[in-house]
Amino acid sequence: MAILDIRGVSQTFGTGETAVQALKPTTLSAQRGELLALLGPSGSGKSTLLLAISLIQAPTTGRIEIDGQVLHDDGPTGVDIRAFRRRNIGFIFQQHNLIPFLTALENVALMLEINGVGGREASRRAAELLDYLEIGHRARSLPARLSGGEQQRVAIGRALANEPALILADEPTAALDTARGMKAMALLRKIARERGTAVVTVTHDHRMIDGFDTVYHLDDGVLTREPDDGTAKRP
Amino acid sequence: MDLALKDIRRHLGKFLATIVGVAMLLAIVLVMNGIYRGNIEDGIWLIDNTATDLWVVERGRGGPFNEPSRMPLDSYRSIAATPGVQLASPIVLYTAQREFGGSSQQFTLVGYDVFGGLGGPGRIVQGRAIAAPHHEMLADRKLGVRLGDVLPLGDDRYTVVGLTGGAVDASGNPLVYLSLPDARKVQYEQDRDALVAARAQSLKRLEAMGIRGEAAERLLPLLSGGSDSINAVLVRLDPGADGAAVARHIRDWLHYNVYTTQEERSLMLDGRLKRISAVLGLFRALLVTVSIVIIALIVYVLTIEKIRSIATLKLIGAPNSLIVRLIMTQSMLLTLGSFVLAYGLRTLIAPGFPRTLAFAPHETAVTFAVMMAGGVLASLLAVWHALRTPPQLALGG
Repeated sequence: MAILDIRGVSQTFGTGETAVQALKPTTLSAQRGELLALLGPSGSGKSTLLLAISLIQAPTTGRIEIDGQVLHDDGPTGVDIRAFRRRNIGFIFQQHNLIPFLTALENVALMLEINGVGGREASRRAAELLDYLEIGHRARSLPARLSGGEQQRVAIGRALANEPALILADEPTAALDTARGMKAMALLRKIARERGTAVVTVTHDHRMIDGFDTVYHLDDGVLTREPDDGTAKRP
Repeated sequence: MDLALKDIRRHLGKFLATIVGVAMLLAIVLVMNGIYRGNIEDGIWLIDNTATDLWVVERGRGGPFNEPSRMPLDSYRSIAATPGVQLASPIVLYTAQREFGGSSQQFTLVGYDVFGGLGGPGRIVQGRAIAAPHHEMLADRKLGVRLGDVLPLGDDRYTVVGLTGGAVDASGNPLVYLSLPDARKVQYEQDRDALVAARAQSLKRLEAMGIRGEAAERLLPLLSGGSDSINAVLVRLDPGADGAAVARHIRDWLHYNVYTTQEERSLMLDGRLKRISAVLGLFRALLVTVSIVIIALIVYVLTIEKIRSIATLKLIGAPNSLIVRLIMTQSMLLTLGSFVLAYGLRTLIAPGFPRTLAFAPHETAVTFAVMMAGGVLASLLAVWHALRTPPQLALGG
């Protein structure tokens, strides 16, 4: 079953002669447990697509369905998008974006609390998650005291906290060295496999491509799927 | 999870330093409140604490506080004979500056009839009232004298037999009470050289009129500066007497100005105190405004520092209420903490402050309410900015 299913999604900025179509009509889907990469250079439309999928910036046209819920069909469908994001989508950022005044444990627990889990239960589940991510020993540390790789694990923990069907990752390995980037990718793969979560990753980090199940290329707003036989040319 | 408290706990030093800074500003606002109210209370203290129904002063004068008033000493007798008057007492008010204990002190001297007359001190906090016709004095503690001290005033020395608390004139200077004859003596006493010069001047004027020798010597006392005057007469009415009728009678038949205590208060509040009260009130309003603007800027900066975190919270789906609570809680804690500290600072400052600080609880409450409302308003700007922050700010490097 497709967790993410988008059809004919396009994004145009401006109107009339000054209109710029940043994303041509695009169709893609991601299955449960699938690790999907959106690869492309800067300005190719990767972030535009990510913002459209998460409905942070509603697309100009197209249909977006996540985990069986149609969120956009050439216009709003009446779904409370922010509440939907809170419950169904996990985000991982390039700079991790942990709340700097919360400990690792609190950063993860916060996600649970804003989903209505009580404080004590949220802390217990956050601690379990950090143990699963092998970062439990740094649970009481503030983000500033964690290494880049550790911060990324906590960020992944936060994204997983509400057990989302879909994780959207924006350049998750860009701020990490190759070894740590590989570890982060292995972790995302493990999560996708063990938890059945679809992971859509925007990246221009070609070092990590081999770990993905499906790779899409974006160039000037046009999305193309890389052949599964590995014959695609990569820069 | 209370994000505001977590943030404050992580940046406790910075938050406390901010509170101290704002508290010092708010302490100035509170002290200014005290100065404003103290100025008014000082201004009307003597009027409010002189148990009298009517103040009789020289005709055409707004005295005895706003304008000098001089009346013949025996004028009180004819006033006492007015129908409806139970008691009429002469009073002398005189501002003096003398050196006591090595420092120059300004005070107002009040001379009154110490044997049952009006105008004496209301409450004596230490010692006793003046019991002798001469050489005893009562002074306010603010003068810095102690019971039993002997102070020189003119050629005579006066023993402090009692102390008052908070007895001040309109300028906040302490009051010193003497018997009427003593006060008049101090008021009109001239120095020996001045007396010799005045005598020579009078003889010259008599000579110019052709009066010389023994005849001139006999006439000299009549020409000397009169010391048989007082500044006002205080009147207590008979029970049930019509104050307006008594006042009219004194005005029409004795040709003096008459004011009720309420009119004396109005004269003081609308005259001498009006401009300074307006200035102090304006300063107070400006300080409150500046404080609110500073709190607004601080809350705004605190919010801007967290703008990326706020964008992240919005992106991961946190409700607006969580973000609003984060900003508002910090703003309220900042304002509340600053006010509490300012209140403590004010309490520390007040006893050593050189002017009377009078604090009306309702004024402090209103200031607190205004500051809290200002804090809420101030944080609205930050809330507005936070809620307009696009969640995509959290994306990218």
